[in-house]
Amino acid sequence: MVGLIGRLWNLPYKSIVKEASGKTLAVAKFFCVVHVTNTYLCTFALAYGPSMIPTFNLTGDMFLAERLSIKFGKVGPGDIVLIRSPESPRKVIVKRLLGLESHSVTYVVDPMNGDRCDTIVVPKGHVWVEGDNIYNSRDSRQFGPVPYSLLEGKVFCKIWPPKEFGSLMKSGMKDPDL
Amino acid sequence: MVGLVGRLWNLQYKSIVKEALGKTLAVAKFFCVLHITNTYLCTFALAYGPSMVPTFNLTGDMFLAERLSIKFGKVGPGDIVLLRSPESPQKVMVKRLLGLESHSVTYVVDPMKSDRCDTIVVPKGHVWVEGDNIYNSRDSRQLGPVPYGLLEGKVFCKIWPPKEFRSLMKSGMKDPGFVVDAI
Repeated sequence: MVGLIGRLWNLPYKSIVKEASGKTLAVAKFFCVVHVTNTYLCTFALAYGPSMIPTFNLTGDMFLAERLSIKFGKVGPGDIVLIRSPESPRKVIVKRLLGLESHSVTYVVDPMNGDRCDTIVVPKGHVWVEGDNIYNSRDSRQFGPVPYSLLEGKVFCKIWPPKEFGSLMKSGMKDPDL
Repeated sequence: MVGLVGRLWNLQYKSIVKEALGKTLAVAKFFCVLHITNTYLCTFALAYGPSMVPTFNLTGDMFLAERLSIKFGKVGPGDIVLLRSPESPQKVMVKRLLGLESHSVTYVVDPMKSDRCDTIVVPKGHVWVEGDNIYNSRDSRQLGPVPYGLLEGKVFCKIWPPKEFRSLMKSGMKDPGFVVDAI
């Protein structure tokens, strides 16, 4: 009698463990696929802050960014890019790319305090990024050209808020010489 | 008769394709595991060049580098690090980390020409790296402080050549304040 109860107790336990580990494995595989897609293909991000007005709002817009262009070097001036911040390695920032290496970039040094412009040649292996809202943006004008390897993605589509859903390709590029 | 041969032929074909797919999937899974280990845990690399003599030889040494320390911020002065080159995004280089952000680093500007030293405070979010062979190394003295986001791994063990197999932890750190007295 005790032996029977013992065997009955053991059986369901094994099958429960098997089923649980099977389902956990399925969930883990799903998350792996999501992670691989996120890291190598396409990711979505929420950006908040004043530095990309009017392209992105102050309170936060969601957009899709793809990672293949960066790996194959297919970014150019006018693209909106995700960058790992050179000042805070845990933060990712969104700015517009204005110049690749060996490009000559003219920028307004401090638009709040005058119209003084400066010109710089972007060094090898670096890019020049600026926010669309140059009055309130911390970008290459303060921390200098950014190494190309810090680029993390190219933004191609805004997905939230729904009324602003649309593609963000180069047609919105501001004229860097304006 | 023809129908039977036809069905037999199809059956064989299907089982071969199934077996091939099964084995390809197994190989693909193996490479996935390898890739994940390589990217997030530990990788091995071959370094060649004069900039880390005597720690690494000119002709190439193989070593193991782990990636977890970088992600958790557990690197410090004296560690040998892998970093993506700020000049050539496709290249990865090996240097010794000498200063973290807000550290004050003293370095010899051009040892071939003189003993002139310079001191710099490493800016926020950056690190200062130098090769062990300061006479022939392109490092932060030419490239400036490197953003922390470019670090890719911390070297902990040399594995080739076999007679030089050993751990490369901090005991080999050169003194960054070492100044040569000309006699």
